Amino acid sequence: MTRAGSAHELTGETDGSALVSMRDVRRTYFLGEPVHALDGVSLSLPEGSFTAVMGPSGSGKSTLMNMLGCLDTPDAGVVEISGENVMELSGSERARLRGTELGFIFQQFNLLPRLTAAENVTMPMVFHSAVEENRRDRAQQLLERVGLGDRLDHTPPELSGGQRQRVAIARALVNEPSLILADEPTGNLDTDTGAEIMGIFSELHEEGRTILMVTHERHIAEQAEQIIHLVDGEIEEVETLEETGGESA
Amino acid sequence: MKITESVRISWRAITGHKLRSTLTTLGLIIGIGAVIVFMVLGGGFEGDILGDVEEEEEPLVQVTTQTTPEDGFGVQFIQTPIYTQSDVEALETRDRVEYVAPQASLSAVQLSHGDERLLSSGGFGGEFGVDATVPEWFEDEFVDVVEGDVFDGEDEAVVNELLVERFDEPLSVGDELSIRLEDDTETTVEVSGIVDDDTGDLLTPTVYLPIEPHYRTTIETPGGTQERGYSMLVVAGSDFEELDELQDDVETFFESDSDAQHLKDEDHTIQVQTVEDIVEQVTDIIDQFALLLGGIAGISLLVGSIGIANIMIVSVTERTREIGIMKAVGARKRDIVQLFLVESLILGIIGAVFGVLVGLGGGYLGIWFLGWPMAYPVDWVVIAVVVGVVVGVLSGLYPAWRAASVDPIEALRRE
Ligand SMILES: Nc1ncnc2c1ncn2[C@@H]1O[C@H](COP(=O)(O)OP(=O)(O)OP(=O)(O)O)[C@@H](O)[C@H]1O
Ligand SMILES: [Mg+2]
Repeated sequence: MTRAGSAHELTGETDGSALVSMRDVRRTYFLGEPVHALDGVSLSLPEGSFTAVMGPSGSGKSTLMNMLGCLDTPDAGVVEISGENVMELSGSERARLRGTELGFIFQQFNLLPRLTAAENVTMPMVFHSAVEENRRDRAQQLLERVGLGDRLDHTPPELSGGQRQRVAIARALVNEPSLILADEPTGNLDTDTGAEIMGIFSELHEEGRTILMVTHERHIAEQAEQIIHLVDGEIEEVETLEETGGESA
Repeated sequence: MKITESVRISWRAITGHKLRSTLTTLGLIIGIGAVIVFMVLGGGFEGDILGDVEEEEEPLVQVTTQTTPEDGFGVQFIQTPIYTQSDVEALETRDRVEYVAPQASLSAVQLSHGDERLLSSGGFGGEFGVDATVPEWFEDEFVDVVEGDVFDGEDEAVVNELLVERFDEPLSVGDELSIRLEDDTETTVEVSGIVDDDTGDLLTPTVYLPIEPHYRTTIETPGGTQERGYSMLVVAGSDFEELDELQDDVETFFESDSDAQHLKDEDHTIQVQTVEDIVEQVTDIIDQFALLLGGIAGISLLVGSIGIANIMIVSVTERTREIGIMKAVGARKRDIVQLFLVESLILGIIGAVFGVLVGLGGGYLGIWFLGWPMAYPVDWVVIAVVVGVVVGVLSGLYPAWRAASVDPIEALRRE
């Protein structure tokens, strides 16, 4: 639980205050006629919370993740991460946020195929590394954390889907991010493997990390503390689950 | 991102596509290699011709008739005798002039040494040539008497080293030579000395005979008389310090009312040159050729750089997804620019280094084959490497910019 403590010190905020917040965020694509991918979304994620996002295909889930992941900026509204207004940041400052405050986990894993697991894990350190620590040790530590301590020098093509997603999770953790963003992390995995990955997410939650996760599957979403239901770019409902949900896995 | 970091990652990308990287740099290697080969050959040729020219401080100028050939490259020496005996004598009366050594060609058809015969095809590049001159001619800095002495009597001759080697049984001082001239007269002379022409392979194997009595060609002077005419002169002064004045003096003489001025062809010019001028002229001509060839080779440098740019653009497209991933995990625009620039820079440097090696190797082979002294065109090696680096960076600029503007969302959406 030491990590939760250090995270508090990092942000200087108390439990319950929002680590990440969105206010009336809109994102519209124009393809002939306007598509409102996000149509006035407001939410806030407290430090240490575990939130799932559900909704039909095309409802704006990935757009929401990209917004919070500083990959995209809203047409209107405000996105704040760790107290910084994303809109007011320069491109390279957003890149710094991505590298240091955020950890991305994707459905397609998105590892660099020519790099080894260890190199993939420490890739974010190439761009943003506060300390000159031994990368190999860091990769070893993180890959052991996700149960891949014996696969440091394997390249992604030599790993199974579940193993690849573990590498991706390790990579997301490498710079000690404040927020973990996972877009359908189990979408490409079979049920058993998906359950193993969810086990890791639960552990991360227990460690006090803030997680936002998109999923299509109800039983996966139920491991979170709350579920945001998106429909046509709008939040239809925020469902709060029993506190036991996270621990059951 | 640290430079060492981007070098490591770029090196990975380069070695990950060995064939492609090789083909990419090939254009550059060929371009730079060709430039270096031409420069090595040019330098070797120059060294062969001018290498041994001693800048002895002799107060000499050479008077020749020259014209620019049709193709505009180099110079052509005109052998037509236009310098009359009167010109020679008039020059000799000038204050600064110590002596005038004229030279003219004899038309010989056959040269025999014992049982061996050489046939003259006539003119430059023939098997041999016969020149008539005076002993003072050999004080020219382009000629050194290496054995024996300059001719002293009418049956003596001087030969150059090229001619010595032309016979299976090499000539030596004291040997007899038989020369059959065009008018079918046969002259027998004794080799009194051997000279070394410092101008290397540029010259023909030559026998030098004393003008008296061998040279009998006369021409009609503007005054209507018949006189001996020569094709070139060496004019010697007494003081090296006054070389410039001597040159001016001789120039003025020929520009004014000399016979040569009247006899020469309209497109021909009478050149009065010091040794320094001649060395410079030869160097200029060779440089002109080397530059022309180098320029052609330079075009392949351009092709090479387009090759690098092309491959880099292809690889940006290919790696769009990877770029997206790197951006998603925190890469800034400038990190991506750096990665791609470093990659094309490495390709440029590899191309330049191998190009220089290939060029020096190829040049060395050519030099060895032609028997010239090896030249190391250091300035061109430096230029080639700089060009390689510049080409690498320039051809990487656009691809790097393209890579940096990749939209990570779009990139990650791709399969
Ligand atoms: N680059 C784009 N150009 C045009 N329209 C886009 C673009 N990206 C997303 N959209 C539109 O925005 C809407 C929301 O897309 P988004 O990817 O957020 O959906 P999603 O909820 O993640 O769907 P899925 O569950 O299928 O992943 C869709 O209607 C989509 O067509
Ligand atoms: Mg999606």
